[in-house]
Amino acid sequence: MLQFVFFIPLIVGIAVFFLPAKTGRLALFSTAVIHALFTALEWFKLSGPLHTKYFTNTPDGMLVLAILSFLFLFISLYTVFYMGEVEMSKEPIFNGSMLLFLSAMSMVAIADHIIMLWVAVEATTLMSAPLIFVHRSKESLEATWKYVLICSVGIALALLGCFFVIFSMEMSNIQVPISFTSLTTVASQLNPVWLKAGFIFFVIGFGTKMGLAPMHTWLPDAHSEAPSPASALLSGALLNCAFLAVYRCHQLMFAAGLGEYSSNVLIAFGLASMLVSAVFILNQTDYKRMLAYSSIENMGIIAVGIGIGGLAAFGALLHMIHHSLVKSSLFLSTGNILLAYGTKVIDKTGGMLQLIPKTGVTFFAGFAGISGFPPFGLFVSELLIILGAIKAGRYVAISIFIFSLILIFAGASRLVMQMVFNERENNEILIPEKWTRTLPSILLLLTSLALVIWLPDSIYQTIQNSISSIGGTVNG
Amino acid sequence: MIHISDIFLALILLSVLLSLRSNRLMALVKLMAFQGIVVSAVPLILDTAHGITFKLIMFFLLLVFVKGILIPGMMSVAVNKVVVSTEIEPIIGYHASLFAGLILIIFSVYITNHLHLAMAVQYKMLLVTGITTMGAGLILLMARRKAITQVIGYLMMENGIYLIGTALAKEVHTQYVVEFAVLLDLLVAVLVMGIVLNDINHTFDDVDTALLGQLKD
Amino acid sequence: MDFTFSFTSFLSLLTAVSLAPLFMGVILKVKAFFGGKQGPPWLIKYYTLIKLLRKGSVYSTSTTFIFKLGPIISFVTAFMLLLFFPFAGLPPVLSFHGDVIILFYLLGLGRFFTVLAALDTASPFEGMGAAREVFFSTLAEATIFVILALFFRLSGSLSFAEYFTGDQIVNLWSQSAALILLVLIALFIVLLTENSRVPVDDPATHLELTMIHEVMILDHSGPDLALIEMGAFCKMLFYSAFISSLLYPFHTGSGLYNGLIFSIIMTLIYAVVGLVESITARYKMDMVPNFILTSFALVFFATILTMEFVQ
Repeated sequence: MLQFVFFIPLIVGIAVFFLPAKTGRLALFSTAVIHALFTALEWFKLSGPLHTKYFTNTPDGMLVLAILSFLFLFISLYTVFYMGEVEMSKEPIFNGSMLLFLSAMSMVAIADHIIMLWVAVEATTLMSAPLIFVHRSKESLEATWKYVLICSVGIALALLGCFFVIFSMEMSNIQVPISFTSLTTVASQLNPVWLKAGFIFFVIGFGTKMGLAPMHTWLPDAHSEAPSPASALLSGALLNCAFLAVYRCHQLMFAAGLGEYSSNVLIAFGLASMLVSAVFILNQTDYKRMLAYSSIENMGIIAVGIGIGGLAAFGALLHMIHHSLVKSSLFLSTGNILLAYGTKVIDKTGGMLQLIPKTGVTFFAGFAGISGFPPFGLFVSELLIILGAIKAGRYVAISIFIFSLILIFAGASRLVMQMVFNERENNEILIPEKWTRTLPSILLLLTSLALVIWLPDSIYQTIQNSISSIGGTVNG
Repeated sequence: MIHISDIFLALILLSVLLSLRSNRLMALVKLMAFQGIVVSAVPLILDTAHGITFKLIMFFLLLVFVKGILIPGMMSVAVNKVVVSTEIEPIIGYHASLFAGLILIIFSVYITNHLHLAMAVQYKMLLVTGITTMGAGLILLMARRKAITQVIGYLMMENGIYLIGTALAKEVHTQYVVEFAVLLDLLVAVLVMGIVLNDINHTFDDVDTALLGQLKD
Repeated sequence: MDFTFSFTSFLSLLTAVSLAPLFMGVILKVKAFFGGKQGPPWLIKYYTLIKLLRKGSVYSTSTTFIFKLGPIISFVTAFMLLLFFPFAGLPPVLSFHGDVIILFYLLGLGRFFTVLAALDTASPFEGMGAAREVFFSTLAEATIFVILALFFRLSGSLSFAEYFTGDQIVNLWSQSAALILLVLIALFIVLLTENSRVPVDDPATHLELTMIHEVMILDHSGPDLALIEMGAFCKMLFYSAFISSLLYPFHTGSGLYNGLIFSIIMTLIYAVVGLVESITARYKMDMVPNFILTSFALVFFATILTMEFVQ
């Protein structure tokens, strides 16, 4: 049954290419619902995988799959109404690619075989490329070219990492299937040198996809040039999938007793990403790019949290959930802003509270959420990471961590304030906002809020299960 | 005794070197086709221990079809359709690229020797060839201005990684589902790149990557 | 010094030298075939030599004895080269350890005097051609010496006789086949460069500006020109014999058959030269160094590979 989460979107996606646009929208939403149903079935362990050689349902994979499915439901709802407003000549391609993209990401979440995981991650790049250049403007083409090329090359390096991991197995003369599940059981016998080398290539390769600095250069371009629903999906779901790939290998390293090494690597890359995004966010002139850099920052936070381990690992996975919800809400809002103002330049926007109040409030609330203000989940998760770091005695790392957070907050808040509250000279907007297009982002934000107040036991348990293999626990 | 595999590896190295100095796009595409075919044949020749099975031969034919015919075919269509001038326009000159290739092979021999791997000489040779091919692919990727050359660089890198994989992870080559999936990915990647390339050409009237520099902070 | 005055060695040398002009005719025939023409007779080069030898030489008043010395030295050095070469696996007339280095410097000496003779005429065209010739040969020399280093690794000797008749024969059909394959391609490039063939130089061109080798010998005439031509034939013969020896598949035991096989391979090589001339255009002058450096890179690759794997 497990494979249906990527089979169904794959088949529907291919069909949508040939269907008229209106039917395609309907298919998009209904597939999202079906996908959510299958994910729920899997989440509550009502069915198992069909063919366990390549796929399996790990707790971390299920977490990513659940986030993906939940987000896609709202994003597809938004897309249906968004498409009603914008003229897109190749709409079937956009809708079809959305579904294929969903399929590829679901495959990442459930992949167990190392090379299958690689294949799935590469597939996400290829399936999402048409989403970015669907406008065919010069900028979007440039963004797509960079995206496809940088990510493909990066992921090719990850393939090298896969081969190294497999070689570490062959060197010890072990014969097990090349999947993470079975490798973990024999991890202590693997050749440590080759495993380390493999991990480095894994982090470089999949880290490119995850947006870790200094391999992040494609991310701001792609996220800012893609249509807003696609940006929301890229930022909210794709980055998690790439993270999952890195996390899988991190777990393997832990099982092999090399956890300290991989933790340090992750912390270093995470902090670098945070610093880079802090520097670039300060003088940003484009609000979608600003959000893109914020995504790099948050991926850095997750990497640092996982690297520190213990309580921070719990915080990191919590952070992943909330970041996905809030960031995709923000990107959906930018879609409304772009429709209303017709520009991505911050200086040409302003007065959102008067002109598009619903979006204005949602956007501002989302910003408060992403900056880690108390009612939202990111506050909790960042606090947990900081506490975990102090417990682990990683004072230098956490100082840089807090410093970057402050810098990013200072830089971004100035820009957001300007967008939301500043007076604008002419009070004309192109396309007014509608409830149908603000509702999905509001709902995503509310979900994040609800999860802070009441974290369902099954989610709590899943996170616990995911981090237990790297020594993470909520009790410190 | 002559190692046939060595001759194949020498041919791959030859294609790598020629591609570094090649100044015509079409010649580069032909070289890639040649390289693709030779690279596909390497597992067939090395993997004599398991015996040559029907599956192995079928997969070899598939590889040759994709790497030697389909992908180069697509590239040559792109070259004919898209490119106005067929000069490659290097950022780093041909001599410097060749020189970089030489340094690369010293480097890969050095690495291979210092790994102290307990493997047959052919596999070491294969590793050297793989690393060199991969590195040369990266050089092409970075040192050439035309977008098509970058795709070719990517393909070459992929070939190199495939060779390294053949040397290290022999296990993988017996799992045809996985290998097929990787091949499919490669094919789709080239297809997507081709489509983007076509659109870039439509929009910019050229495929010079120097034009793709609008987005920056 | 190891003098082996054997009859067969002399015979093989004489046969080879006397066949050299005929082999050149092969190139012309192949080119004519691809051009859809009948081409000149097979013995055309003999006729040319006889014609030139029957003429008298004309010397410009501005030239010195250097100008007369040039052709003689270039022929003599090229001929000396052949004395050391083991044709068809037969022992050469002369051989000593380290002779290859001497031989390539002898070639250099011949080139040096050709260049001096060209400069002696004080013609700007000839100076230009001399500059190009020296530049390209310098690049090709790098390849040659890397090949010698490689062969030393493979056979442990520095003499042609040892390479092709010794205990550790350097051959395409031996264990280091892959490396020899790279060397063969590099040597072929060197052959084209050193003998001024397409795509480096076009021996049939009519414009002085585009010439390399031909422009240097514009002022020579009669027997002098014949000597230069004969020297060029010997040089070409040397390089193709070098390649043929690497390709030479097996020894039959009978010297006659060996020679026959060897001649067939030689003919094939000349035919390939003709083929290359028919199907490729000449490179732009600034692409030529690139072409020659490729040969260097190839043998360099091969040498690096021997450093570790082939002991």
